Amino acid sequence: MTQDPVILVDQLSKTYQVSEREGGFAAAVRGFFKRQYRDVPAVQQVSFRIAPGEVVGFLGPNGAGKTTTLKMLSGLLHPTAGRAQVLGYTPWQLKPAYLSVMTLVMGQRNRLSWDIPAADSFLLNQAIYRLSDADYQRTLAELDELLDLGPIMRKPVRNLSLGERMKCELAAGLLHRPQVLFLDEPTIGLDITAQARIRAFLQEYNRRTGATILLTSHYMADVTALCERVIIIHQGQLKYDGGLSELSRRIAPFKLIGVALGEAVHMDLSGYGTLVAGEDEADKHFIQVPAADVTAVTARLLADLPIHDITIADPPIEAVIERAFNA
Amino acid sequence: MLRIYQRLWQVNWAEQWQYRANLVMYLLYWLVSPVVYLAVWTAIASQQGSVNGLTANDFVTYYMTLLIVDQLTSEITIFVAGYRIQDGTLSNELIRPIHPILTNILMYNLAFKALTLMALLPVWLVLGLLFRPDFSSVTLVNVLIALPVIGLGFAISFLFGAALTCVAFWTTRAWALHEFYSALVVLFSGQFVPLTLMPPPIQAVAQYLPFQLFKYIPIQIILGRLDAPAILASYLGGLVWLALAVGLFRAVWSAGVKRYSAVGA
Repeated sequence: MTQDPVILVDQLSKTYQVSEREGGFAAAVRGFFKRQYRDVPAVQQVSFRIAPGEVVGFLGPNGAGKTTTLKMLSGLLHPTAGRAQVLGYTPWQLKPAYLSVMTLVMGQRNRLSWDIPAADSFLLNQAIYRLSDADYQRTLAELDELLDLGPIMRKPVRNLSLGERMKCELAAGLLHRPQVLFLDEPTIGLDITAQARIRAFLQEYNRRTGATILLTSHYMADVTALCERVIIIHQGQLKYDGGLSELSRRIAPFKLIGVALGEAVHMDLSGYGTLVAGEDEADKHFIQVPAADVTAVTARLLADLPIHDITIADPPIEAVIERAFNA
Repeated sequence: MLRIYQRLWQVNWAEQWQYRANLVMYLLYWLVSPVVYLAVWTAIASQQGSVNGLTANDFVTYYMTLLIVDQLTSEITIFVAGYRIQDGTLSNELIRPIHPILTNILMYNLAFKALTLMALLPVWLVLGLLFRPDFSSVTLVNVLIALPVIGLGFAISFLFGAALTCVAFWTTRAWALHEFYSALVVLFSGQFVPLTLMPPPIQAVAQYLPFQLFKYIPIQIILGRLDAPAILASYLGGLVWLALAVGLFRAVWSAGVKRYSAVGA
């Protein structure tokens, strides 16, 4: 990385103090006089750098600390320890100059007013971010073209479908052309078509504006389509930071060989590798083999068996990431 | 900045217009106590000729002016922003480059005022027909002189209300505290009865509190019952209280936001 990073995270930690008590009346009385607190480390000494224009997938199971990290980077949370700089600003100082050049879009939270059309909220954002009429019209036209906002932005937000609302949320979050985007589950709850549209939009937005994007998602399709690089955290700790393709090589250096055998041949294939359950093709058997052995195993399979069809593929990214969490 | 306020006004106005039925219900609820006081005191004063030197017309004009002044100086910040603090929706407003309370919530208050005043007007006219007040002591100059005090009264009441709302950053008991504060306002602002009818100790304490700027003083100025030195003193006192309210709100707000972001927004 030769360029100055847009996002610099250095030993960032966040520990929540959570009050807790046992159930029942006696415990409630005790809790009234003496609260028991427990420290819950949500993020522990996480460090990474993101260069201008990068699109990075931020992955981890529920409760891993993804949202906490995004909230610290957008300024909503003070860290317990460590340092972060985004575009040279310390986010949690909430400087208007910083808030004007970044955006945080959360899939389940709305920044649009529920009772009025999105178009009215857009106009409000024009004023809040001090956009000239020309800039505003140009950006809105561009967002309209990419997201097809036309009729939906004139209906009250509460009458929109989830997918339509997400489009409007994204537009509202991007009208001021932020240089840094923090997206927390931008496709959550959307159907496949809507997910694909949002993905295509983000790709195009990144290409056109050169914005830096850090996004979390539970949909691997989001990650594989958008991100060349992924950061994986688990239980608040950084587990992996690097290319998506290297991830498979490093964490799960194996391939899946799929074989379709003729005439309902029932043969024991376990001698060739580990048998795994196939996903979509019932008549196919899947054998997991170390990447280094793929050529040899394939040759043996072809020599030994009446094979109709054979495929060699990377294991599904879900499986790879699952292994990364447990590494 | 003016454009921000203008657009916030449009949004808040449009939003609240959707809930106009709720607004009318609120207004009816809010009207009950002053109208009851109005009826009771007028009846007593008519029977006795006067109460502590106040005639029936004095009571009618007092309460009818109170209906308007109270609308202008009261605030509903805790009912709007309190929940946003507790359920975390304030987050969306915190990451915009404008102050959530001093812009959006302020405009919410003003839009609410405008709508309730619109609904109040016909009710006020009906009350006028019923009680036939004699407003001959009210002059345009009185009203103009009262306006800055009403402005100060609202500014102070808004900032106090906002500071109390910020208590929600720490505890759900913010509502209880606000209830207590409202009771103090009722007692010391002249909302209950004209302050001159209150026991002397309460009148004495009221002199040292800002609450009479919310109701009693503007009403007295409009009705032409305050002399020039007293008006000037209320202007100056109002400015001092405004400075204190600004300081209080700023301190509580910045500590509150720090707390909000420390425990998890």
